[in-house]
Amino acid sequence: MPDALLVMVHGSPTAGANDAMFAVVDALKARPEVAARFPVVEVGFMECNDPPIPEAIDRCVAQGATRVVAVPYFLHTGTHVCDDLPTLLEEAQTRHPGVAFALGDYIGLSPRLTDLLAARAAAAAASP
Amino acid sequence: MDALILFSHGSLLCGSGEALEAHAERLRQRGDFSRVEVGYLNYTEPSFAEAVARVAAAGATRVTVAPYFLVTGYFVTTSLPREIEKAQAAHPQLTFTVAEALGQDEALANALLESAAGARGPEAWRDGLKRAALRCRPDPRCPLYGTENCPKVPVAPAREEDEGVVAARA
Repeated sequence: MPDALLVMVHGSPTAGANDAMFAVVDALKARPEVAARFPVVEVGFMECNDPPIPEAIDRCVAQGATRVVAVPYFLHTGTHVCDDLPTLLEEAQTRHPGVAFALGDYIGLSPRLTDLLAARAAAAAASP
Repeated sequence: MDALILFSHGSLLCGSGEALEAHAERLRQRGDFSRVEVGYLNYTEPSFAEAVARVAAAGATRVTVAPYFLVTGYFVTTSLPREIEKAQAAHPQLTFTVAEALGQDEALANALLESAAGARGPEAWRDGLKRAALRCRPDPRCPLYGTENCPKVPVAPAREEDEGVVAARA
């Protein structure tokens, strides 16, 4: 039974603010090992953009997912990461009692982002 | 001397700086810059101005500012230049360079995938609140202030009129 990857995003009223995130998710989906591990990948938003997270979860389930692995695409912890996102998953668990839900760390905790900060800083420092 | 300032928005929630402070510490360990500071726009200390004062006091001449933001939005395009303008006036010897926001990169995809690999069940979903409370700086504006998750300010006892409301609803 397939696992779904749910990318949970804050959302923004600014046009184009999600472009980079969608490009990251598209790059992820294009990796063969990711496609094998997560046949279903959905993006859901807290605010401002569609689909809202509950709808994105329902889409995962409609595509046959029996396990939904959610990752907050957030740089910082806060009320959304600590409380609101868990609440949305608990509500989804009630709607879909046969589906297992798991939640990963928000991506800001990853040392990968330290490497990215270092790369961005090095590029700027090297510019004339 | 080259210094790096990680620029971020700041938050009212205790412990909201945990990720960025960890990045700053790892960047210090890397040693690419002789001084690494975090500077916040709002709510969280140290402010951007304070971070600049620290690197200036340490003898920095060139300051790279790396925005810890996913996208180049209002805070990066408008707020940060204002902060740098003020800092430049206070420290005319410094040269500032601003890096790109995090934007799009394989590193973000890898972070996402590794987070998914470590995903846990419901018992761990609110661990972030416990970690936040560990870094409590009692502030009535914090969402945890006076809640059961706030370690320093006890939960306010329910007032009689509150209980009356609860009873009326029940």
